[in-house]
Amino acid sequence: MDNDPFLFPSIRERRKRRGERERGAAKGRAAMAPLPVPASVAKQAEQLKQDGNSYFKKERLGAAIDAYTEAITLCPDVAIYWTNRALCYRKRNEWKKVEEDCRRALQLDSNSVKAHYMLGLALLEKHDYSGGIKELEKALELGRGANPASYMVEEIWQVLSRAKYMEWEDSSSKRASRLQNLREVCEKALIDYYFIDASEAEDSSKESDHSQSQQLEYLREVFNKAAQADTPSEVPDHLCCKITLDIFRDPVITPSGITYERAVLLDHLQKVGKFDPVTRELLEPHQLVPNLAIKEAVQAFLRDHGWAYKMS
Amino acid sequence: MTSSSAPSKKVSLSLAHCYSLTLTCLFFSVQALSKIASNRLQKELKEWQVNPPVGFKQKPTDNLQRWIIEVVGAPGTVYANETYKLQVDFPEHYPMEAPQVIFLHPAPLHPHVYSNGHICLDILYDSWSPAMTVSSVCISILSMLSSSTVKQRPADNDRYVKNCKNGRSPKETRWWFHDDKV
Repeated sequence: MDNDPFLFPSIRERRKRRGERERGAAKGRAAMAPLPVPASVAKQAEQLKQDGNSYFKKERLGAAIDAYTEAITLCPDVAIYWTNRALCYRKRNEWKKVEEDCRRALQLDSNSVKAHYMLGLALLEKHDYSGGIKELEKALELGRGANPASYMVEEIWQVLSRAKYMEWEDSSSKRASRLQNLREVCEKALIDYYFIDASEAEDSSKESDHSQSQQLEYLREVFNKAAQADTPSEVPDHLCCKITLDIFRDPVITPSGITYERAVLLDHLQKVGKFDPVTRELLEPHQLVPNLAIKEAVQAFLRDHGWAYKMS
Repeated sequence: MTSSSAPSKKVSLSLAHCYSLTLTCLFFSVQALSKIASNRLQKELKEWQVNPPVGFKQKPTDNLQRWIIEVVGAPGTVYANETYKLQVDFPEHYPMEAPQVIFLHPAPLHPHVYSNGHICLDILYDSWSPAMTVSSVCISILSMLSSSTVKQRPADNDRYVKNCKNGRSPKETRWWFHDDKV
């Protein structure tokens, strides 16, 4: 597969280009490519994309798809043409086609946020939770790198949380039923064991009755404990922002040592005042530092307590 | 205390300020809560139900945006065993903006509480911080009540209340906080 994302990029794509080293490599590839598309053809394809965009805005999805398809026929190596067409298919709920177009786009530009995002959606549609989650996580990481406050990042986060919650619901109900089966078998086995024990020993005393009920009680405790992580409860306070009261996504720490959710703290500094909301010490946006330890703690907590992905 | 006890130049300034804001507030009060606001209020409500601040009782309603809270005067203070009602209204962008907190009629007789229920307490206005909660605000109000040894209205009560006709919000007043002993 031709993996070169830099052959016929649109102007916007070109701006996003980073890294001289990569650029050098790209030039090398471009020189070796069989037949470069003439500039006039590339221009025609760009025009078709513009047409597609305006059809899309007017909700004329069929016409938009036709325009993007023509653009793709002229210049098959522009990732944006594929992701734009995928966006149309997404609106039409044609998820198989969304998946195909996004995969093609990712071969051309492995850093396309939109392609990772829509591919993730398409995979979730066919209940491939782990595949979908992987793509959405990639999209979130790339999106945050580009612009942490964009609406896309928020949207991706919402979808990702929902996906993780669904994955947890799915896997936890399986775990719960496995555990329930095992528990019933164990309880029965314990009762049987005491029954045999009692019939062998002549004096089935009260003492043995007592230890039987006590061990049954312990057994239940053990099983309850095993189910604890999957039982929704409260997220510990130290993993929650003092402003949102919600579990951290992108925690930052202030010079006072208090950790907040980055987006809302920036909002506070802009709208309320330049001070730490808890300590009221003076605070400027550039003083914020990512709190990686808390971020890891949140990830670890979410790994074991998928229910915490539930958003109200 | 309000700005009406300040030099006359300041007063006229603050009145102009108030009138212009009254209009926006009429519009503002019907704004639904933002997603962040309603998310946070749901969490506050949940926490309140499990762990309410001592001396307070929230009256359950369907309205997340307006809480009615009963407060009982602390034992050993001049308000001991007296019950008052607080009305807390949350703006669209809570907690980036302070809630509006007033006493419902009859308001306690207190040097910082006007007869129309408005409360002169800095954290409700200039000194608000989004890290505060309904619960922490309630505790501050109770501590304000508890620290008073006399039951009396603020000196400028009549003038202030007269200026507040037409249901003006206390958040539009330019407050002067020059007494933090009471």
